[in-house]
Amino acid sequence: MALAANAAIGLAAPATAAADDRLLADDTFAVSPPGRLVVDAGLIVGLPAALPTGLSTGVGAGLTRACGCHFAYGALASWASASESSETWTVTHGELRLRATGSLHHEAGRGTLALRLGLGATVVHEDRVRNQGVRAGLTGSELEQTATQALPAADLEAVVTLRIAGPWALVIAGGPTATWFDSHLRGGWTAALGVAWHP
Amino acid sequence: MASVKSWSLLVLVLAPAASACGTVQNFSGDVPPLATLHVEVTGDLEAVRPPGQTAPPDLHVALVWGQQWLTEPLCILPAESADATAVIAAGCRDPFGFVPAQVDRSVAVTVGAPAELELATLPDASLLVGDLTARIGYGSLIVYDDRNGDGSLTLARANRQGHPDMGPDDGGDNQPTTQSDTVYGASFITMTAPDVRLAYREGAFVPYAFYPRAGCGDPPPAFSVDAAGGFTAAAAISATLAGALPPEDPASCAQSSTDTIIQIPISPPADVTELACTERNADSTVRYREPDVDVPDFTGRTTACVHVPTFGAPTDVIELIVTGVLDGPSPDSCKGITHYILKGCREGPDCGTPDWDHSTAPPAWWPC
Repeated sequence: MALAANAAIGLAAPATAAADDRLLADDTFAVSPPGRLVVDAGLIVGLPAALPTGLSTGVGAGLTRACGCHFAYGALASWASASESSETWTVTHGELRLRATGSLHHEAGRGTLALRLGLGATVVHEDRVRNQGVRAGLTGSELEQTATQALPAADLEAVVTLRIAGPWALVIAGGPTATWFDSHLRGGWTAALGVAWHP
Repeated sequence: MASVKSWSLLVLVLAPAASACGTVQNFSGDVPPLATLHVEVTGDLEAVRPPGQTAPPDLHVALVWGQQWLTEPLCILPAESADATAVIAAGCRDPFGFVPAQVDRSVAVTVGAPAELELATLPDASLLVGDLTARIGYGSLIVYDDRNGDGSLTLARANRQGHPDMGPDDGGDNQPTTQSDTVYGASFITMTAPDVRLAYREGAFVPYAFYPRAGCGDPPPAFSVDAAGGFTAAAAISATLAGALPPEDPASCAQSSTDTIIQIPISPPADVTELACTERNADSTVRYREPDVDVPDFTGRTTACVHVPTFGAPTDVIELIVTGVLDGPSPDSCKGITHYILKGCREGPDCGTPDWDHSTAPPAWWPC
Protein backbone atom coordinates (compact mmCIF):
# COMPACT_ATOMS: atom_id res chain seq x y z
CA MET A 1 0.00 0.00 0.00
CA ALA A 2 2.80 2.39 0.89
CA LEU A 3 4.56 1.44 -2.28
CA ALA A 4 1.46 2.21 -4.26
CA ALA A 5 1.12 5.59 -2.57
CA ASN A 6 4.72 6.48 -3.29
CA ALA A 7 4.29 5.51 -6.90
CA ALA A 8 1.21 7.68 -7.18
CA ILE A 9 3.08 10.65 -5.73
CA GLY A 10 5.98 10.01 -8.07
CA LEU A 11 3.70 10.04 -11.09
CA ALA A 12 1.81 13.09 -9.93
CA ALA A 13 4.87 15.25 -9.25
CA PRO A 14 5.87 15.88 -12.88
CA ALA A 15 2.29 16.73 -13.77
CA THR A 16 2.22 19.41 -11.12
CA ALA A 17 5.46 20.91 -12.40
CA ALA A 18 4.09 21.03 -15.98
CA ALA A 19 0.99 22.87 -14.82
CA ASP A 20 3.15 25.63 -13.36
CA ASP A 21 4.96 26.18 -16.72
CA ARG A 22 1.86 26.51 -18.93
CA LEU A 23 2.05 29.11 -21.64
CA LEU A 24 -1.58 30.06 -21.19
CA ALA A 25 -2.70 30.74 -17.69
CA ASP A 26 -6.29 30.89 -16.62
CA ASP A 27 -6.24 34.65 -16.77
CA THR A 28 -4.37 34.98 -20.05
CA PHE A 29 -7.45 36.10 -21.90
CA ALA A 30 -8.85 38.10 -19.10
CA VAL A 31 -9.64 41.53 -20.41
CA SER A 32 -9.58 44.89 -18.80
CA PRO A 33 -12.78 46.85 -18.75
CA PRO A 34 -12.89 49.29 -21.69
CA GLY A 35 -11.23 52.56 -20.87
CA ARG A 36 -12.13 56.01 -22.03
CA LEU A 37 -9.08 56.31 -24.26
CA VAL A 38 -8.24 53.88 -27.07
CA VAL A 39 -5.18 53.98 -29.27
CA ASP A 40 -5.24 51.84 -32.38
CA ALA A 41 -3.00 51.13 -35.37
CA GLY A 42 -3.09 48.79 -38.30
CA LEU A 43 -3.21 48.18 -41.98
CA ILE A 44 -5.64 49.94 -44.28
CA VAL A 45 -6.83 49.25 -47.77
CA GLY A 46 -9.30 51.03 -49.97
CA LEU A 47 -10.17 52.69 -53.20
CA PRO A 48 -7.77 55.53 -54.00
CA ALA A 49 -9.14 58.97 -53.31
CA ALA A 50 -8.35 60.36 -56.74
CA LEU A 51 -7.03 57.60 -58.96
CA PRO A 52 -9.84 56.17 -61.06
CA THR A 53 -8.65 52.63 -60.55
CA GLY A 54 -6.40 50.55 -58.37
CA LEU A 55 -6.12 49.67 -54.71
CA SER A 56 -4.56 51.88 -52.11
CA THR A 57 -2.74 50.15 -49.26
CA GLY A 58 -0.95 51.50 -46.24
CA VAL A 59 -0.95 51.98 -42.51
CA GLY A 60 -2.98 54.09 -40.15
CA ALA A 61 -3.35 55.02 -36.52
CA GLY A 62 -6.04 56.62 -34.44
CA LEU A 63 -6.97 57.95 -31.09
CA THR A 64 -10.47 57.65 -29.70
CA ARG A 65 -11.86 59.00 -26.48
CA ALA A 66 -15.19 57.88 -25.13
CA CYS A 67 -17.17 60.33 -23.15
CA GLY A 68 -18.92 57.88 -20.88
CA CYS A 69 -22.04 57.45 -22.89
CA HIS A 70 -22.59 56.00 -26.38
CA PHE A 71 -20.56 58.69 -28.04
CA ALA A 72 -16.84 58.87 -28.73
CA TYR A 73 -14.66 61.24 -30.64
CA GLY A 74 -11.13 61.16 -31.90
CA ALA A 75 -8.78 61.51 -34.75
CA LEU A 76 -7.35 59.22 -37.43
CA ALA A 77 -4.34 59.54 -39.64
CA SER A 78 -3.23 57.13 -42.31
CA TRP A 79 -0.84 56.89 -45.20
CA ALA A 80 -1.53 54.76 -48.21
CA SER A 81 -0.30 54.62 -51.73
CA ALA A 82 -1.41 53.24 -55.06
CA SER A 83 0.29 53.06 -58.43
CA GLU A 84 -1.37 52.53 -61.79
CA SER A 85 -0.34 52.87 -65.41
CA SER A 86 -1.87 53.97 -68.65
CA GLU A 87 -0.30 53.87 -72.07
CA THR A 88 1.51 57.11 -71.41
CA TRP A 89 1.78 57.56 -67.65
CA THR A 90 2.68 55.62 -64.55
CA VAL A 91 0.91 57.45 -61.75
CA THR A 92 1.63 56.95 -58.07
CA HIS A 93 -0.56 58.53 -55.45
CA GLY A 94 0.46 58.82 -51.84
CA GLU A 95 -2.54 59.64 -49.69
CA LEU A 96 -2.38 61.17 -46.24
CA ARG A 97 -5.83 60.81 -44.75
CA LEU A 98 -6.59 63.06 -41.80
CA ARG A 99 -9.93 62.68 -40.11
CA ALA A 100 -11.69 64.02 -37.08
CA THR A 101 -14.09 61.33 -35.99
CA GLY A 102 -17.24 60.97 -34.01
CA SER A 103 -18.80 57.62 -33.31
CA LEU A 104 -21.70 55.91 -31.65
CA HIS A 105 -20.72 52.71 -29.91
CA HIS A 106 -22.28 49.87 -28.03
CA GLU A 107 -20.57 47.43 -25.67
CA ALA A 108 -21.43 43.77 -26.15
CA GLY A 109 -19.44 41.38 -23.97
CA ARG A 110 -15.82 41.49 -25.09
CA GLY A 111 -16.73 43.48 -28.12
CA THR A 112 -17.61 46.98 -29.05
CA LEU A 113 -19.67 47.83 -32.06
CA ALA A 114 -19.41 51.34 -33.39
CA LEU A 115 -20.48 53.47 -36.29
CA ARG A 116 -17.80 56.04 -36.94
CA LEU A 117 -18.07 59.15 -39.07
CA GLY A 118 -14.83 60.77 -40.13
CA LEU A 119 -14.53 64.20 -41.65
CA GLY A 120 -11.36 65.83 -42.86
CA ALA A 121 -9.05 65.93 -45.79
CA THR A 122 -7.08 63.52 -47.89
CA VAL A 123 -3.82 65.06 -48.97
CA VAL A 124 -2.88 63.42 -52.26
CA HIS A 125 0.68 63.59 -53.49
CA GLU A 126 0.82 62.64 -57.13
CA ASP A 127 3.96 61.51 -58.89
CA ARG A 128 3.56 60.58 -62.52
CA VAL A 129 6.26 59.43 -64.86
CA ARG A 130 5.99 59.51 -68.65
CA ASN A 131 6.20 55.94 -69.83
CA GLN A 132 9.26 55.28 -72.03
CA GLY A 133 10.49 58.77 -71.12
CA VAL A 134 13.76 57.60 -69.60
CA ARG A 135 14.57 55.51 -72.66
CA ALA A 136 13.72 58.46 -74.88
CA GLY A 137 16.03 60.74 -72.91
CA LEU A 138 13.35 63.01 -71.48
CA THR A 139 14.24 65.05 -68.43
CA GLY A 140 12.55 67.47 -66.04
CA SER A 141 8.83 67.97 -66.21
CA GLU A 142 8.65 66.18 -69.54
CA LEU A 143 9.70 63.03 -67.72
CA GLU A 144 8.16 63.40 -64.27
CA GLN A 145 5.47 65.60 -62.82
CA THR A 146 4.41 65.98 -59.21
CA ALA A 147 1.48 67.68 -57.54
CA THR A 148 -0.01 67.76 -54.09
CA GLN A 149 -3.62 68.56 -53.42
CA ALA A 150 -5.84 68.37 -50.37
CA LEU A 151 -9.27 66.93 -51.03
CA PRO A 152 -12.19 67.24 -48.63
CA ALA A 153 -13.28 63.78 -47.62
CA ALA A 154 -15.61 61.85 -45.33
CA ASP A 155 -15.74 58.25 -44.19
CA LEU A 156 -18.51 56.26 -42.59
CA GLU A 157 -17.21 53.08 -41.06
CA ALA A 158 -18.55 50.21 -39.06
CA VAL A 159 -16.01 49.39 -36.37
CA VAL A 160 -15.81 46.12 -34.50
CA THR A 161 -13.46 45.97 -31.55
CA LEU A 162 -12.85 42.61 -29.91
CA ARG A 163 -10.90 42.72 -26.67
CA ILE A 164 -8.47 39.82 -26.71
CA ALA A 165 -6.26 40.02 -23.70
CA GLY A 166 -5.67 42.62 -21.05
CA PRO A 167 -5.70 46.04 -22.66
CA TRP A 168 -5.27 44.68 -26.18
CA ALA A 169 -8.01 44.36 -28.75
CA LEU A 170 -8.47 43.48 -32.39
CA VAL A 171 -10.06 46.18 -34.51
CA ILE A 172 -11.79 45.68 -37.84
CA ALA A 173 -13.33 48.60 -39.64
CA GLY A 174 -14.72 49.33 -43.04
CA GLY A 175 -17.23 51.35 -44.94
CA PRO A 176 -17.91 53.83 -47.68
CA THR A 177 -15.94 56.98 -48.32
CA ALA A 178 -16.62 60.15 -50.23
CA THR A 179 -14.05 62.55 -51.64
CA TRP A 180 -14.55 65.84 -53.38
CA PHE A 181 -12.24 65.73 -56.38
CA ASP A 182 -12.22 67.56 -59.66
CA SER A 183 -15.55 69.25 -58.86
CA HIS A 184 -17.22 65.91 -58.35
CA LEU A 185 -18.10 63.78 -55.37
CA ARG A 186 -16.24 60.53 -55.75
CA GLY A 187 -17.36 57.46 -53.87
CA GLY A 188 -15.14 54.73 -52.58
CA TRP A 189 -14.53 52.41 -49.70
CA THR A 190 -11.98 51.76 -47.04
CA ALA A 191 -11.20 48.90 -44.69
CA ALA A 192 -8.78 48.46 -41.83
CA LEU A 193 -7.44 45.68 -39.67
CA GLY A 194 -5.40 46.52 -36.61
CA VAL A 195 -4.85 46.32 -32.91
CA ALA A 196 -6.06 48.65 -30.23
CA TRP A 197 -4.78 49.37 -26.80
CA HIS A 198 -6.63 51.02 -24.04
CA PRO A 199 -4.79 52.08 -20.94
CA MET B 1 -12.64 68.16 -27.09
CA ALA B 2 -9.19 69.65 -27.16
CA SER B 3 -8.10 66.74 -29.37
CA VAL B 4 -10.81 67.43 -31.92
CA LYS B 5 -9.84 71.07 -32.06
CA SER B 6 -6.19 70.20 -32.58
CA TRP B 7 -6.83 67.84 -35.44
CA SER B 8 -9.33 70.13 -37.09
CA LEU B 9 -6.81 72.90 -36.89
CA LEU B 10 -4.17 70.66 -38.45
CA VAL B 11 -6.47 69.75 -41.30
CA LEU B 12 -7.40 73.34 -41.88
CA VAL B 13 -3.76 74.36 -41.96
CA LEU B 14 -2.63 71.53 -44.19
CA ALA B 15 -5.38 71.73 -46.74
CA PRO B 16 -4.71 75.17 -48.20
CA ALA B 17 -0.97 74.64 -48.01
CA ALA B 18 -1.17 71.43 -49.93
CA SER B 19 -3.57 72.86 -52.48
CA ALA B 20 -0.94 75.33 -53.51
CA CYS B 21 1.34 72.59 -54.88
CA GLY B 22 -0.45 71.87 -58.13
CA THR B 23 -3.44 69.88 -59.20
CA VAL B 24 -3.69 66.13 -59.23
CA GLN B 25 -4.25 65.09 -62.85
CA ASN B 26 -4.29 61.30 -62.79
CA PHE B 27 -3.89 60.20 -66.41
CA SER B 28 -5.27 63.36 -67.99
CA GLY B 29 -3.55 66.49 -69.20
CA ASP B 30 -1.05 67.06 -71.95
CA VAL B 31 1.25 64.16 -72.74
CA PRO B 32 4.80 65.28 -73.51
CA PRO B 33 6.04 63.79 -76.77
CA LEU B 34 9.00 61.47 -76.53
CA ALA B 35 10.66 63.44 -79.27
CA THR B 36 9.73 66.27 -81.61
CA LEU B 37 11.15 66.23 -85.10
CA HIS B 38 11.43 69.41 -87.12
CA VAL B 39 11.03 68.92 -90.83
CA GLU B 40 10.86 71.11 -93.88
CA VAL B 41 10.05 69.93 -97.37
CA THR B 42 11.87 71.80 -100.11
CA GLY B 43 11.68 71.82 -103.88
CA ASP B 44 9.13 72.14 -106.62
CA LEU B 45 6.32 69.70 -106.14
CA GLU B 46 4.39 70.61 -109.27
CA ALA B 47 7.41 69.90 -111.45
CA VAL B 48 7.48 66.24 -110.44
CA ARG B 49 3.79 65.42 -110.02
CA PRO B 50 2.71 62.48 -112.16
CA PRO B 51 0.45 63.31 -115.09
CA GLY B 52 -3.16 62.83 -114.20
CA GLN B 53 -2.83 63.82 -110.56
CA THR B 54 -4.63 67.11 -110.68
CA ALA B 55 -6.25 67.16 -107.27
CA PRO B 56 -4.56 69.38 -104.69
CA PRO B 57 -1.91 67.29 -102.96
CA ASP B 58 -2.45 66.31 -99.35
CA LEU B 59 1.21 66.37 -98.49
CA HIS B 60 2.41 64.60 -95.34
CA VAL B 61 5.65 63.56 -93.79
CA ALA B 62 5.77 60.17 -92.09
CA LEU B 63 8.43 58.70 -89.89
CA VAL B 64 9.12 55.21 -91.17
CA TRP B 65 11.36 52.81 -89.29
CA GLY B 66 13.75 50.81 -91.38
CA GLN B 67 13.97 47.07 -91.80
CA GLN B 68 17.15 45.07 -91.82
CA TRP B 69 17.08 43.56 -95.26
CA LEU B 70 19.39 41.72 -97.61
CA THR B 71 18.73 41.45 -101.30
CA GLU B 72 18.56 38.07 -102.99
CA PRO B 73 21.66 36.72 -104.78
CA LEU B 74 20.13 37.08 -108.23
CA CYS B 75 20.04 40.85 -107.82
CA ILE B 76 23.71 41.34 -107.07
CA LEU B 77 25.44 38.59 -109.05
CA PRO B 78 26.35 39.26 -112.69
CA ALA B 79 23.47 38.58 -115.04
CA GLU B 80 24.01 35.67 -117.41
CA SER B 81 21.94 36.96 -120.32
CA ALA B 82 20.24 40.01 -121.71
CA ASP B 83 16.86 38.61 -120.66
CA ALA B 84 18.16 38.16 -117.15
CA THR B 85 19.51 41.68 -117.15
CA ALA B 86 16.08 42.99 -118.11
CA VAL B 87 14.36 41.02 -115.36
CA ILE B 88 16.90 42.11 -112.76
CA ALA B 89 16.59 45.74 -113.81
CA ALA B 90 12.82 45.61 -113.57
CA GLY B 91 12.50 43.27 -110.62
CA CYS B 92 15.27 44.11 -108.18
CA ARG B 93 15.13 47.09 -105.87
CA ASP B 94 18.18 49.07 -104.85
CA PRO B 95 20.17 46.68 -102.65
CA PHE B 96 21.43 49.66 -100.63
CA GLY B 97 18.07 51.37 -100.40
CA PHE B 98 16.01 52.08 -97.33
CA VAL B 99 13.44 49.35 -96.72
CA PRO B 100 10.43 50.23 -94.58
CA ALA B 101 9.39 48.08 -91.69
CA GLN B 102 6.79 50.14 -89.86
CA VAL B 103 5.13 53.49 -90.39
CA ASP B 104 5.06 55.72 -87.34
CA ARG B 105 3.26 59.03 -87.10
CA SER B 106 2.56 61.40 -89.95
CA VAL B 107 2.06 65.15 -90.02
CA ALA B 108 0.62 67.39 -92.72
CA VAL B 109 3.19 69.64 -94.33
CA THR B 110 3.45 72.42 -96.86
CA VAL B 111 6.41 72.80 -99.16
CA GLY B 112 8.74 75.45 -97.79
CA ALA B 113 7.13 75.66 -94.37
CA PRO B 114 8.59 74.01 -91.28
CA ALA B 115 6.51 71.43 -89.47
CA GLU B 116 6.80 69.43 -86.31
CA LEU B 117 6.31 65.71 -85.97
CA GLU B 118 5.76 64.58 -82.39
CA LEU B 119 6.54 61.00 -81.47
CA ALA B 120 4.33 59.41 -78.85
CA THR B 121 5.96 55.99 -78.71
CA LEU B 122 9.35 54.43 -79.08
CA PRO B 123 10.11 51.99 -81.85
CA ASP B 124 9.28 48.52 -80.63
CA ALA B 125 11.91 45.87 -80.12
CA SER B 126 11.27 44.25 -83.49
CA LEU B 127 12.52 47.43 -85.16
CA LEU B 128 15.76 47.58 -83.23
CA VAL B 129 18.86 45.65 -84.18
CA GLY B 130 21.08 44.35 -81.40
CA ASP B 131 20.50 42.92 -77.97
CA LEU B 132 19.13 44.49 -74.83
CA THR B 133 22.46 46.08 -73.96
CA ALA B 134 23.12 47.65 -77.34
CA ARG B 135 20.47 48.10 -79.97
CA ILE B 136 19.56 50.69 -82.50
CA GLY B 137 16.87 51.58 -85.01
CA TYR B 138 16.90 53.96 -87.95
CA GLY B 139 14.07 55.89 -89.47
CA SER B 140 13.53 57.86 -92.62
CA LEU B 141 11.18 60.80 -92.96
CA ILE B 142 9.17 60.19 -96.09
CA VAL B 143 7.17 62.83 -97.92
CA TYR B 144 4.02 61.58 -99.56
CA ASP B 145 0.72 62.67 -100.99
CA ASP B 146 -1.93 60.98 -98.88
CA ARG B 147 -4.13 60.23 -101.84
CA ASN B 148 -6.22 57.59 -100.06
CA GLY B 149 -6.85 59.97 -97.17
CA ASP B 150 -6.08 57.54 -94.38
CA GLY B 151 -3.64 59.90 -92.69
CA SER B 152 -0.77 57.47 -92.94
CA LEU B 153 1.68 56.25 -95.54
CA THR B 154 0.33 53.08 -97.11
CA LEU B 155 2.92 50.41 -97.69
CA ALA B 156 2.69 48.17 -100.73
CA ARG B 157 4.29 44.86 -101.61
CA ALA B 158 5.69 43.17 -104.65
CA ASN B 159 3.21 41.26 -106.80
CA ARG B 160 4.75 37.81 -106.95
CA GLN B 161 2.95 34.99 -108.67
CA GLY B 162 2.10 31.60 -107.30
CA HIS B 163 -0.51 29.51 -105.65
CA PRO B 164 -2.78 31.32 -103.22
CA ASP B 165 -1.44 29.13 -100.42
CA MET B 166 2.09 30.23 -101.13
CA GLY B 167 1.67 33.65 -99.62
CA PRO B 168 3.39 34.80 -96.47
CA ASP B 169 2.11 33.69 -93.11
CA ASP B 170 2.28 37.17 -91.62
CA GLY B 171 -0.67 38.63 -93.43
CA GLY B 172 1.54 40.54 -95.82
CA ASP B 173 -0.73 39.59 -98.69
CA ASN B 174 -3.21 42.10 -97.33
CA GLN B 175 -0.99 44.90 -98.51
CA PRO B 176 -1.77 46.33 -101.93
CA THR B 177 0.48 45.76 -104.91
CA THR B 178 -0.40 49.16 -106.28
CA GLN B 179 0.55 52.11 -104.14
CA SER B 180 -2.32 54.45 -103.52
CA ASP B 181 -0.19 57.19 -101.96
CA THR B 182 2.45 58.97 -103.98
CA VAL B 183 5.90 59.22 -102.46
CA TYR B 184 7.78 62.45 -103.17
CA GLY B 185 11.00 62.09 -101.29
CA ALA B 186 12.68 61.13 -98.09
CA SER B 187 15.45 62.17 -95.79
CA PHE B 188 17.03 58.73 -96.14
CA ILE B 189 16.61 57.05 -99.50
CA THR B 190 19.69 54.91 -99.95
CA MET B 191 23.06 54.31 -98.35
CA THR B 192 24.79 55.26 -101.58
CA ALA B 193 23.58 58.87 -101.40
CA PRO B 194 23.74 61.57 -98.72
CA ASP B 195 21.06 61.01 -96.11
CA VAL B 196 19.68 62.36 -92.87
CA ARG B 197 18.19 59.68 -90.67
CA LEU B 198 16.55 59.51 -87.29
CA ALA B 199 18.49 57.19 -85.02
CA TYR B 200 17.16 55.70 -81.83
CA ARG B 201 19.76 54.04 -79.67
CA GLU B 202 19.43 52.07 -76.44
CA GLY B 203 22.47 51.08 -74.42
CA ALA B 204 25.87 50.90 -75.98
CA PHE B 205 26.52 51.20 -79.70
CA VAL B 206 27.91 48.29 -81.67
CA PRO B 207 28.65 48.98 -85.35
CA TYR B 208 26.38 46.56 -87.16
CA ALA B 209 25.91 46.18 -90.90
CA PHE B 210 22.46 47.65 -90.39
CA TYR B 211 22.46 50.80 -92.48
CA PRO B 212 26.09 51.19 -91.41
CA ARG B 213 27.78 54.47 -90.64
CA ALA B 214 31.40 53.48 -90.15
CA GLY B 215 33.60 56.47 -89.48
CA CYS B 216 30.87 58.76 -88.27
CA GLY B 217 31.18 58.00 -84.58
CA ASP B 218 28.58 56.50 -82.32
CA PRO B 219 25.12 57.99 -82.48
CA PRO B 220 24.09 59.56 -79.17
CA PRO B 221 21.75 57.62 -76.84
CA ALA B 222 18.00 57.95 -77.39
CA PHE B 223 16.87 59.98 -80.40
CA SER B 224 19.28 61.83 -82.62
CA VAL B 225 19.41 63.16 -86.15
CA ASP B 226 22.39 61.75 -88.01
CA ALA B 227 23.63 62.80 -91.41
CA ALA B 228 26.30 61.34 -93.67
CA GLY B 229 27.40 61.51 -97.27
CA GLY B 230 26.92 57.85 -98.17
CA PHE B 231 29.30 55.40 -99.81
CA THR B 232 29.57 53.87 -103.24
CA ALA B 233 28.34 50.40 -104.13
CA ALA B 234 31.90 49.46 -105.06
CA ALA B 235 33.14 50.57 -101.66
CA ALA B 236 30.42 48.55 -99.99
CA ILE B 237 31.32 45.40 -101.91
CA SER B 238 35.03 45.85 -101.24
CA ALA B 239 34.47 46.41 -97.56
CA THR B 240 32.15 43.43 -97.32
CA LEU B 241 34.68 41.16 -98.99
CA ALA B 242 37.26 42.43 -96.51
CA GLY B 243 34.92 41.72 -93.60
CA ALA B 244 34.50 45.37 -92.75
CA LEU B 245 31.86 48.05 -93.01
CA PRO B 246 32.02 50.59 -95.83
CA PRO B 247 33.48 53.80 -94.48
CA GLU B 248 31.78 57.16 -94.60
CA ASP B 249 33.67 60.37 -95.20
CA PRO B 250 33.98 61.79 -91.68
CA ALA B 251 33.70 65.29 -93.10
CA SER B 252 30.19 64.48 -94.27
CA CYS B 253 29.03 63.17 -90.89
CA ALA B 254 26.90 65.21 -88.55
CA GLN B 255 25.13 64.13 -85.40
CA SER B 256 22.68 66.44 -83.73
CA SER B 257 19.65 66.53 -81.51
CA THR B 258 16.10 66.32 -82.72
CA ASP B 259 15.95 70.12 -82.58
CA THR B 260 17.70 70.13 -85.94
CA ILE B 261 15.50 70.97 -88.90
CA ILE B 262 15.54 68.06 -91.31
CA GLN B 263 15.36 69.22 -94.91
CA ILE B 264 13.62 66.81 -97.27
CA PRO B 265 14.02 67.60 -100.96
CA ILE B 266 11.22 66.76 -103.36
CA SER B 267 12.13 63.93 -105.74
CA PRO B 268 10.39 62.43 -108.76
CA PRO B 269 8.03 59.70 -107.52
CA ALA B 270 9.56 57.14 -109.87
CA ASP B 271 12.85 57.47 -107.98
CA VAL B 272 11.44 57.02 -104.51
CA THR B 273 8.30 54.90 -104.80
CA GLU B 274 10.04 51.80 -103.48
CA LEU B 275 10.55 53.55 -100.15
CA ALA B 276 6.98 52.50 -99.46
CA CYS B 277 7.53 48.89 -100.53
CA THR B 278 7.87 46.24 -97.87
CA GLU B 279 9.89 43.10 -98.17
CA ARG B 280 8.70 39.69 -97.04
CA ASN B 281 12.06 38.00 -96.63
CA ALA B 282 14.76 40.03 -95.00
CA ASP B 283 17.58 37.50 -95.10
CA SER B 284 18.13 37.24 -98.88
CA THR B 285 16.42 33.87 -99.05
CA VAL B 286 14.09 33.07 -101.93
CA ARG B 287 10.75 31.31 -101.80
CA TYR B 288 10.44 29.18 -104.92
CA ARG B 289 7.19 28.35 -106.67
CA GLU B 290 5.96 25.13 -108.18
CA PRO B 291 4.88 25.65 -111.79
CA ASP B 292 1.17 25.06 -112.21
CA VAL B 293 -0.29 22.95 -115.02
CA ASP B 294 -2.04 25.99 -116.41
CA VAL B 295 0.04 28.79 -117.76
CA PRO B 296 0.33 31.68 -115.30
CA ASP B 297 -0.77 35.12 -116.36
CA PHE B 298 2.43 36.76 -117.57
CA THR B 299 0.62 39.78 -119.01
CA GLY B 300 2.75 42.86 -118.49
CA ARG B 301 5.55 40.85 -116.91
CA THR B 302 9.06 40.13 -118.13
CA THR B 303 10.52 36.65 -117.86
CA ALA B 304 13.87 34.95 -118.25
CA CYS B 305 15.42 31.55 -117.77
CA VAL B 306 18.56 31.53 -115.67
CA HIS B 307 20.66 29.20 -113.62
CA VAL B 308 19.77 29.29 -109.95
CA PRO B 309 22.29 31.82 -108.64
CA THR B 310 24.66 30.84 -105.87
CA PHE B 311 27.67 32.41 -104.25
CA GLY B 312 29.48 29.10 -104.53
CA ALA B 313 29.95 26.63 -107.35
CA PRO B 314 27.73 27.18 -110.41
CA THR B 315 24.57 25.11 -110.52
CA ASP B 316 22.97 23.46 -113.52
CA VAL B 317 19.45 23.94 -112.21
CA ILE B 318 17.43 26.24 -114.42
CA GLU B 319 14.75 28.49 -112.99
CA LEU B 320 12.19 30.80 -114.50
CA ILE B 321 12.28 34.32 -113.12
CA VAL B 322 9.34 36.67 -113.57
CA THR B 323 9.00 40.35 -112.77
CA GLY B 324 5.91 42.06 -111.45
CA VAL B 325 3.42 43.73 -113.76
CA LEU B 326 5.37 46.45 -115.51
CA ASP B 327 2.86 47.60 -118.11
CA GLY B 328 -0.86 47.91 -118.46
CA PRO B 329 -3.54 49.95 -116.82
CA SER B 330 -2.46 49.08 -113.29
CA PRO B 331 1.28 48.37 -113.07
CA ASP B 332 2.73 47.18 -109.81
CA SER B 333 4.32 49.77 -107.58
CA CYS B 334 6.92 47.52 -106.03
CA LYS B 335 9.68 45.52 -107.57
CA GLY B 336 9.93 41.82 -106.99
CA ILE B 337 10.80 38.58 -108.73
CA THR B 338 8.93 35.31 -108.79
CA HIS B 339 11.08 32.17 -109.02
CA TYR B 340 9.80 28.95 -110.57
CA ILE B 341 11.70 25.67 -110.45
CA LEU B 342 10.61 22.32 -111.87
CA LYS B 343 11.92 20.29 -108.96
CA GLY B 344 12.47 21.25 -105.38
CA CYS B 345 10.85 22.89 -102.39
CA ARG B 346 9.86 26.35 -101.29
CA GLU B 347 13.34 26.74 -99.87
CA GLY B 348 15.11 25.84 -103.11
CA PRO B 349 16.11 23.08 -105.49
CA ASP B 350 18.51 21.42 -103.04
CA CYS B 351 16.15 20.51 -100.25
CA GLY B 352 16.68 16.77 -100.04
CA THR B 353 13.33 15.23 -100.79
CA PRO B 354 11.61 17.60 -103.22
CA ASP B 355 8.04 18.65 -102.59
CA TRP B 356 7.39 18.66 -106.29
CA ASP B 357 9.14 17.23 -109.34
CA HIS B 358 8.05 18.13 -112.86
CA SER B 359 11.49 17.68 -114.33
CA THR B 360 10.49 14.67 -116.36
CA ALA B 361 7.20 16.14 -117.53
CA PRO B 362 7.28 19.92 -117.44
CA PRO B 363 4.05 21.87 -118.02
CA ALA B 364 3.37 22.61 -121.64
CA TRP B 365 3.98 26.31 -121.14
CA TRP B 366 7.36 25.89 -119.40
CA PRO B 367 9.75 28.05 -121.44
CA CYS B 368 13.11 26.99 -120.05
